[in-house]
Amino acid sequence: MATEVLMPRQGQSVESCIIIGWKVNEGDTVTEGQALCEVETDKATFEVESPASGTVLGIFYPDDADVEVLKVIAAIGEPGEDVSALRPETSSEDSEQKTEDSEQKTEDSEQKTEDSGQNTADREQTLDQEEGRPSSLSSVVSPPSSDPSGKVSPRAKNLAAKKGVNISSVVGSGPEGRVIERDVQAALEGRAELSPPAKSKAAAGTAVPQAGSGIGGRILLDDLADVAPQDVASAVAALDFPGSVNEIPVRGVRKVISGRMLDSLQNTAQLTMNTSADARTMLDFRAKCKAAPEERAVGGITINDIVLFATVQTLVQFPELNAHWLGDKIKQFEDVHLGIAVDTPRGLMVPVIRFANRLTLRQLSAEAKRLAMAAIEGTIEPDALTGGTFTVTNLGAMGIESFTPVLNKPEVGILGVCNIQPKPVMQQGGGTEFVPHLGLSLTFDHCATDGAPAARFLAALRQNLAAFDILLVK
Amino acid sequence: MATEVLIPSEKSGGAEFDIIIIGAGPGGYVMAERAGHLGKKVLLIEKEYLGGVCLNWGCIPTKTLLNSAKHYVHAKEAPDFGVTTGEVTFDLSKAMSWKQEVIETLRGGIGFMMKKNKVTVVNGTAKFLAARKVQVGEKVYEGDNVVIATGSSPFVPPIPGADQIHVMTSTDILSIDTMPESLVVIGGGVIGIEFASFFSSLGVKVDVIEMLDEIIPFMDRGQAKEFRKTLQKDVTFNLGCKVTAIDGHTVRYTAKDGEEKSIEADVVLMSVGRSPNLADMGFGEAGLDFDRRGIKVDEQMRTNLPNVYAIGDVTGLSQLAHSATRMGEVALNTICGRRDRFRMNAIPWAVYSMPEVAGCGLTEEQAEAAGHRIESAQLPLTMSGRFLAENGKKGPGSIKVIKDADTDVLLGVHMVGAGVAEMIYGAAVMIEAELRIKDIQEIVFPHPTVGEVMRDVMFSL
Repeated sequence: MATEVLMPRQGQSVESCIIIGWKVNEGDTVTEGQALCEVETDKATFEVESPASGTVLGIFYPDDADVEVLKVIAAIGEPGEDVSALRPETSSEDSEQKTEDSEQKTEDSEQKTEDSGQNTADREQTLDQEEGRPSSLSSVVSPPSSDPSGKVSPRAKNLAAKKGVNISSVVGSGPEGRVIERDVQAALEGRAELSPPAKSKAAAGTAVPQAGSGIGGRILLDDLADVAPQDVASAVAALDFPGSVNEIPVRGVRKVISGRMLDSLQNTAQLTMNTSADARTMLDFRAKCKAAPEERAVGGITINDIVLFATVQTLVQFPELNAHWLGDKIKQFEDVHLGIAVDTPRGLMVPVIRFANRLTLRQLSAEAKRLAMAAIEGTIEPDALTGGTFTVTNLGAMGIESFTPVLNKPEVGILGVCNIQPKPVMQQGGGTEFVPHLGLSLTFDHCATDGAPAARFLAALRQNLAAFDILLVK
Repeated sequence: MATEVLIPSEKSGGAEFDIIIIGAGPGGYVMAERAGHLGKKVLLIEKEYLGGVCLNWGCIPTKTLLNSAKHYVHAKEAPDFGVTTGEVTFDLSKAMSWKQEVIETLRGGIGFMMKKNKVTVVNGTAKFLAARKVQVGEKVYEGDNVVIATGSSPFVPPIPGADQIHVMTSTDILSIDTMPESLVVIGGGVIGIEFASFFSSLGVKVDVIEMLDEIIPFMDRGQAKEFRKTLQKDVTFNLGCKVTAIDGHTVRYTAKDGEEKSIEADVVLMSVGRSPNLADMGFGEAGLDFDRRGIKVDEQMRTNLPNVYAIGDVTGLSQLAHSATRMGEVALNTICGRRDRFRMNAIPWAVYSMPEVAGCGLTEEQAEAAGHRIESAQLPLTMSGRFLAENGKKGPGSIKVIKDADTDVLLGVHMVGAGVAEMIYGAAVMIEAELRIKDIQEIVFPHPTVGEVMRDVMFSL
């Protein structure tokens, strides 16, 4: 009996992973624990190891396929064994053959997903018991990747993904406007037939329009978003964009970012305040750290670490900014779980330093570095990317003088750190001195707090940064 | 008033007619029939005969004459297949009267369909006054929608001597009463080749003078060459040549190498193309957007004027009767508020010469130019038992198919050989449905038929 290789579940919020590349071919001999392929969630990359030794009898999804977790992606066994029964119905080979039998299977797996969703809900309930009513702390701390409202049943989500329906366009008829399977079916109703090649492509995850350009409105290959190069060329020529065009399907991290950013800008009352802090103490301290003997292990402390530390210490005094805005209530947190924006090859990621207020500067510096490296290398655990209470984003190294950070909803504040510039400061005895200043751009949600408290937080932060060494005395 | 523009379909604007159609060719009369069937009040205006050029001076008369010529050729070839005949002769006047009978029968059929579907037919020359208004004679008709289906006419280039009586257009030559001894065909397109095939098969000496390097410009290049070589046993082709003058019966032309040459001919057929009928109907005054190639329309056949549509040859999009018919249907669906568009990627075409030629979809050159990575395959029709039995070992013919190598989707089908015009619609179905080669391989074809070669060639890809 051949052994199934499953797409592993990486953290509770991960529903599917993209296969970046197979490291083995069908027919290869593998040993248990050998890496079979590399996969990417919307947040990180990792390797799938072989669960058994034997021959790779079947690889069921090609590179770049987006596969639901716990689906069979490959089979390992003795040469000659029949693995056709293990091949999932949505794998690329026979994707257009959606028999009733396979529907049944899907229903079963949907049932499982429902069950695990139930477990999560139970856990949430325990967490929130002291508040008297079951709510969804964890869904707030770790909002679902692509759907901001979160009110979509797993079955509906599955069907929508399978048929290429844009879930955000579906009006929900379930409890509290939850989108259920029936709603997706209704959205599918009236949708034109797909030609055979279009169906194959749609099964691979391309969005499908309601009607196409073919006979009787039939949806043809060219009608799918990711169109053939010649049609891009002609469409582009028609729109007066001569030259070659690179079309990038929006998925993975990009999709998550776009969804969250739009949600943030559409659903909060955010605004930004700019100020700057005297940076002499920070620069001085940084120089001292750098010059310190190696065994002190402070050489790696950067200006950014100093800002993170000062921010965390200031936040503890301003719980209105270390908070979540949830529409019907505000949650203020005693501890600071600090999100740090990291520029990675896959796009923006925000790993979270847990209990940042309980860390020393050196611990904070080390933790920030560890998380940033993991995010850049794509090895970060998905659960490390959720659960922040406030975020810091630093564009100072790129010479940015001020900007408008976008809130990481439902967080109430995000601090943008800018570059250090000399600023003329009038001397008491007359004359002007140029003093290096660090630019700070704070975006906050006016729903949750007001301009004056936000300004007071900035003023306190400015003072803490200017007299940074005092902060270290505890 | 605004709702009228938005929902032109069901709400009648109060005009006398829902739809006024100018021109009763295969675009206009089919649209009139369908619209009448849907209960629309339709006015169809025709200046000559119902059926237009197609029925009266084009598709139908040429096919009737070519059928007579085919009978003649088959009779002559009959001994090869075990049938002895006496002397085989061709009676032009008999062929011509059969042609006329066919035309009149079909014309009567259209008249009946118009009555049955309550279409008002008016005979006369139309003048387009403005959106909604069309004048015929003294009377002004008003319609919520106006459809211009005025067709096209043979284009006669300004060559000295082109105005002589024996220099004929396709319309003129359909009424000749004596067989010429020799014929020069200027223009190697569909019309020129069909007449060249007709006259040469009846023993007339035929020369074709074509400006381009190959005949039938939209044909697959390989098959065009193969086709021309088949015709060459009876027709002389002068390719890459430009006619400079027609002095009496002497056609003078400049050959490809620059040499001045001439051919003597009893009759000269001018078949260099057709131009849209746009003049003297008030189009310019009404503000309609058009140029010498035709009236500009969108995919729903709408012109720049509200509720004014144009269909068929007059749009310059495609000079095929069935294109015109389809355009009329698209215009009607648009008027009725039904979503439709005129797709041009799967319009089949055919040349009814001996052998026939037909095609649908892209040629290799077009597919490559469109950015496809292609694969193609070709098989001779003699692969088919039926074709071999009926056409002999040397029966000319082949089917070529072109697919997209990345998606396996069928892009084009090209055919040469007896009867291929009857099977090209199958290719149109496959291309419209965007079938892949592997899908087509599952379709069953009857045996023994010539069409089986189509199936075989799919398996050789």
